[in-house]
Amino acid sequence: MLVMNNISKVFQTADVQTHALRDFNLTVNEGEFVSVTGPSGSGKTTFLNIAGLLETYSSGEFTLDGEDIGKLNDTGRSRMRNHKIGFIFQSFNLIPDLNLYDNVDVPLRYRGFNAKERKRRIEENLARVGLASRMKHLPSQLSGGQQQRVAIARALATDPRFLLADEPTGNLDSEMAQGVMTLLEEINQQGTTIIMVTHDAQLAQRSPRTIQVMDGRVSELELHLATANQQAIA
Amino acid sequence: MLETGLIIRALMRNKIGALLIALQIALTMTIIVNAIFMIQDRQTKMQRNSGIDEDNTFYLTNTIFGQDYNIQAALHTDLDTLRKTPGVIDAIQINAIPLSGGGWSSGVQTEMGENKDAIGTAIYMVDDHAINAMGLELIAGENFSATDIQWRKSGQSTWPSKVIVTKALALSLYPDDWHTALGKTIYISQNQSIEIIGILKALQAPWNGWDGVERSMLVPFQMESKGSRLFIRTEPGKRDLLIPQIEKALAESDKGRIIRRLRTMEETRERSYQRHNATNKILTTVVITLTIITGFGIVGLAIFSINRRTKQIGTRRALGATRGQIMRYFMMENLLISGVGIFIGCIGAVGLNMWLVKTFQLSPINIELILFGIIALFIVGQIAVLYPARKASLISPATATRTV
Repeated sequence: MLVMNNISKVFQTADVQTHALRDFNLTVNEGEFVSVTGPSGSGKTTFLNIAGLLETYSSGEFTLDGEDIGKLNDTGRSRMRNHKIGFIFQSFNLIPDLNLYDNVDVPLRYRGFNAKERKRRIEENLARVGLASRMKHLPSQLSGGQQQRVAIARALATDPRFLLADEPTGNLDSEMAQGVMTLLEEINQQGTTIIMVTHDAQLAQRSPRTIQVMDGRVSELELHLATANQQAIA
Repeated sequence: MLETGLIIRALMRNKIGALLIALQIALTMTIIVNAIFMIQDRQTKMQRNSGIDEDNTFYLTNTIFGQDYNIQAALHTDLDTLRKTPGVIDAIQINAIPLSGGGWSSGVQTEMGENKDAIGTAIYMVDDHAINAMGLELIAGENFSATDIQWRKSGQSTWPSKVIVTKALALSLYPDDWHTALGKTIYISQNQSIEIIGILKALQAPWNGWDGVERSMLVPFQMESKGSRLFIRTEPGKRDLLIPQIEKALAESDKGRIIRRLRTMEETRERSYQRHNATNKILTTVVITLTIITGFGIVGLAIFSINRRTKQIGTRRALGATRGQIMRYFMMENLLISGVGIFIGCIGAVGLNMWLVKTFQLSPINIELILFGIIALFIVGQIAVLYPARKASLISPATATRTV
């Protein structure tokens, strides 16, 4: 479970203080699929960075899976990311010099798995995203949709509790985007909590819960699933 | 967990930069190992013992210009004056100075006659005070007696019947056992017999570059010559005080000659090895410069590589790499590049050494020096990459979500 209470993030330069998040409150329960929307500069990415332990926050309380994140040092946060969080990035962030097998291998090595276990996980997850036959290909030899699938395989390989996706379909055409979205839904149905930042309102509506970030705060909390259910009953 | 396999595969897809640095390391290894070897070789030569009490000895040139000059009487007077001077241990007339670059040499052989193998030796014409005046160590046999000393006329071709040789010369003449040289008759000028009555521990020849520099022979001659050298040994610590006093005393005692070129043995050694010293300084500069350039090359490549891979490093951090793991990645990458460079460098170093051995008759390089080169370059590489690797480790994982 992810719980943020009054989280603030202030970026300080010599002359200017920028409040990227102000008193940000959010609870995400295990197994949820939450979409985070909002205009550019609203604080979505800052929220995702803090939620994914990529950045520290200025004040407030944040617990992830029962762990007080404020008490973790850099190494502790790295371990937490590796053990509990999977990332999917808008521009895939695959390592161009490594083939698909080695790309998925990267977080597994940080985890310290032995070669046999790593091989099992790599093959299993590449098969899961339909790319088992292309393990030796380089990212540059794949389409955007396929690259994002590799990124998903890499994110899933460590069996994370949370999957954080930053505009995962932002660089894909609509057909590929639908495919990736379907894959994320399947992953969520298998029990992984997903938090997805997106600009795409249609895509956001496919998730059971959407939150909107405005001026660094959660401005609206909407349970699409509930709404959809009500609409269906009506 | 080390990412050696991943690093190798990534490097294989970006060969050029890594290969250039590896070649630079290889070139550095080739040059520095051989340069250090040459420095060591010279250093060893410079540290050889001349056999003389160098700290307390000096010499001067006595040039006679007076007419009807009694050279023999004047020499006796000079040596007598010097030997009685307080603080002087002993003094002699000598025909050549060890390590000075100029002197006499001849061939000696164990069998009489032409076409026999002769061994080259430096010749020092001295009297029975030489061992004391030069601070030499007699390790076998005996010194000359006063009656052994003969006057040598200019152009004289005969030799006295007794000589004292160095251990190195004795060993060259009698390779099985240098002790057996004592009492043996050897031949100079092919057929003049001379007896070895004493063996010195060491006395170097005037020429430091000669491979027989340790082979010397004392001959009991005093020279009746208008130009001669006087060699003086003082009590410890009194040399510098006595040099001007003796110069003044000798000059004033006889107006028919000039006393000049007073020089200590320390100065002579320094002048003798001036080229060696200069070459060593140049080689040391080359070694240091090359090492620094290679270090900077590694720093440059690493910084360039890190700047190019900022987002990738951020992604690795996002995927769970700790700062230590990022540092280790770049240090391991450098270790692998250095390893390739050092491997090529080892082959280059041995190859260059083989050429040097063949061309300049140097001795072959020793394995310890190669090992030193390997370790030194690995350390240089790791130190050079430390700052860029630390810089890389400080890249924020949030870089992964930024559009760069």
